[in-house]
Amino acid sequence: MSTDTLEIKWTRAASWRRILLLALILLPTFTASHYMAGVLPYKGATLLEIALVVVFGILFAWISIGFWTAMLGLFVLIRHKDQFSFSQALKKQPLSIEDTEAKTAILIPIYNEDVPRVMAGVQTTLQALRKTGLSHMFHIFILSDTTNPDIWVHEEMAWYKLCQDEDAFGTIFYRHRKSNVKRKSGNVADFCRRWGKDYRYMIVFDADSVMSGKTLVQMVQAMELRPDIGILQTPPAAVNRQSLIARVQQFANRVYGPIFAAGLHFWLLGDAQYWGHNAIIRVAPFMEHCQLPRLPGKGPLGGDILSHDFVEAALMRRAGYGVWLAYDMEGSYEETPPTLLDELKRDRRWCQGNLQHLRLIFTRGFFPVHRALFVNGVMSYGSALLWLVFLILSSAEAITEVLIEPQYFPSAEMTLFPQWPVWYPMWAITLLGSTAIVLFLPKILSIAYIIFYTKKAHLYGGSVRLTLSMIIETLTSTLLAPIRMAFHSHFVVMTLLGKATGWGTQTRDDRGTTWNDAFQYHISQTLIALLWGSILYVFNRSFFWWMLPILGPMALSIPISAFSSRVSFGQKLKKLFLLITPEETEAPSELATVDENMTKPASYSPLPLSQNEGFVRAVVDPKVLALHTSLILRHRVAAPSIRQRREDIQKKALEKGPEGLSAKEKMELLRDPDQLRELHRKIWRIPNWEKAAKWGIE
Amino acid sequence: MIEKSEGWQIARDRVLLYVRAMDLPPFQGLELALQALKESNASSIDESMNALERCILSKELQAEILDEEGKHIASIPPMNRGTMVSKNFDRIPWLTATKKFMRRWMRDLFGPSRTR
Repeated sequence: MSTDTLEIKWTRAASWRRILLLALILLPTFTASHYMAGVLPYKGATLLEIALVVVFGILFAWISIGFWTAMLGLFVLIRHKDQFSFSQALKKQPLSIEDTEAKTAILIPIYNEDVPRVMAGVQTTLQALRKTGLSHMFHIFILSDTTNPDIWVHEEMAWYKLCQDEDAFGTIFYRHRKSNVKRKSGNVADFCRRWGKDYRYMIVFDADSVMSGKTLVQMVQAMELRPDIGILQTPPAAVNRQSLIARVQQFANRVYGPIFAAGLHFWLLGDAQYWGHNAIIRVAPFMEHCQLPRLPGKGPLGGDILSHDFVEAALMRRAGYGVWLAYDMEGSYEETPPTLLDELKRDRRWCQGNLQHLRLIFTRGFFPVHRALFVNGVMSYGSALLWLVFLILSSAEAITEVLIEPQYFPSAEMTLFPQWPVWYPMWAITLLGSTAIVLFLPKILSIAYIIFYTKKAHLYGGSVRLTLSMIIETLTSTLLAPIRMAFHSHFVVMTLLGKATGWGTQTRDDRGTTWNDAFQYHISQTLIALLWGSILYVFNRSFFWWMLPILGPMALSIPISAFSSRVSFGQKLKKLFLLITPEETEAPSELATVDENMTKPASYSPLPLSQNEGFVRAVVDPKVLALHTSLILRHRVAAPSIRQRREDIQKKALEKGPEGLSAKEKMELLRDPDQLRELHRKIWRIPNWEKAAKWGIE
Repeated sequence: MIEKSEGWQIARDRVLLYVRAMDLPPFQGLELALQALKESNASSIDESMNALERCILSKELQAEILDEEGKHIASIPPMNRGTMVSKNFDRIPWLTATKKFMRRWMRDLFGPSRTR
């Protein structure tokens, strides 16, 4: 089938599918909103009640999208025959890339990451590619935006060692960018400008991404097969985590993820999203059409586009290329944040990025689905605020009901019969039941799909444990939902008020949250929940019990945050075969190799300096200095004023030792090979024992 | 300043440590250190390190990271410059956008089959 015919076929199919989805969302939403109005004392007649019903309707529609996406995904998976599936199209093809021009660059953008973990991932990727016999078609680029001087030097040493160990000079490349303009998207764009013309495709990784060699080759094959595709996204499976919250996320991703991914594919088809990593991109159109401008204006909604991936997908689609989700392609992995606070740190950045998309919804030439996806992204965080508003309005209604005397004769005309505020508990229970179905049925069906259809429950610890794990996941998510809601609402409000967010590095190792951190971040939420709960308890005790599942977790957010981040809890459950994923019962070779590569000892160093003391090593260790100065891309002779400043820093370094320099000063010295060599000479000649010891010369 | 009595000790240790840091084969490293200490008479750190530097240069043992062709190692391939220019977003008013969306949708649903 030609690509033109295929495009007509999928665009038409997609249009009908989207109508179906709209109908499935809107009809139940109107019905549920009608019920909601009926539940209220004045049947939605007061302003407060109208606001309540409207907010409820939006929220119901929002959760219905997830519900129907899951249902349609289940339909796709059970039907099994999908004319648009990439895995099915590639099944008959041998693992090969015929066109030798189809070179692919694997990009690993990093920013102050854990170096051994990144390098273990790179090594694993190379080893996996070598197993396919097609590694000559790939180059790996480690694109560093690191601003920490110690990590920068550590990255260089690790790259060099890796290339030596794997004989991979000319296959694995390392580039450090002087300034991290436009962050990750700028990092990738910088690669495109320098070397993009050498490659037909690029596969973008995250720092913790792992992909199997077969999947990498298959992605290239899929792109070769379909020249109309601009971006092909794989659904990464969450792996490798040990803390309770991360294992819950991991389990949810693995059990419910495939159904949601299939559902997204069902109604998005070639208008899918790009998630920023674990995806292959056609380089030429990306370079021509996907460079992001700065958004006009100041503040969080202006400037660099933070969530670049959604916008790049929209631009690629606007340029006439499809963006697809290879929902059934396996061998693609990522790691989730280890603690609630790390997750929230990431969410704060994403929230700002997604709210920026509000300004792009009506950009000329974007496809309607991508506009809808922008709204969807906004709602990912906006829904939290709406939920909070809904709860506040509900509480206000509950208190009003107690404090204000009902109006039995609301109209001016005299009537014989009063209007009684009536409460129909059955309606409320029906509404609650239907909301519960929308929220929980996809989970139950996902479990049923694994147990009865794929018959792979043994990979999750067996049917009973799989069901128990689902209950644990549901309980944990229910506890965490109000806490997340409060934070997300806070992020949305702060962003809209113009408070910017920094690009903090997300911790990727399994360290728990300290009580101190938990207290610092959650105390305000705890106090608000206690105050809110007390008011309700005093004025309307029956409503207080309705609100307890929400206010309770908020009030207990400090222990919930601390305990959910504990590795010991996660591991205890793992020992009981609960929250187990297939990657743990039958570990794919790539993941086992990452672990193996991580545990390899660091290279021998004659000086008593750890790998983490990168700056000191670059100054003191002659070999590290030689490596570092060799790798500096371009060095211009500095202007006299800059030279003077650097000489001052050098003097300061000699006087106070490395501890006396700021990160910025260290970076400045590291960028100047002449100054660095000079400092090296002087340090080795320091006569004072104590001063020399500060540099590891003992 | 170092004490006079311990000057030669520090000078000796410093030279030996530097040679260790250079990670040279055992005999070569020790010979280098010995030569530097002999030349400088281990009189002071400065003298000894200067002598060591001279020895390193004369024996061409500088710690350099070279590739197979003897050039300084590079961690990146040769550049092949391209351009990537951003186009400003034309953010059209919402009404026009909605009209266009409806028109396109109707065409996708009911319009004639088309080829590009």
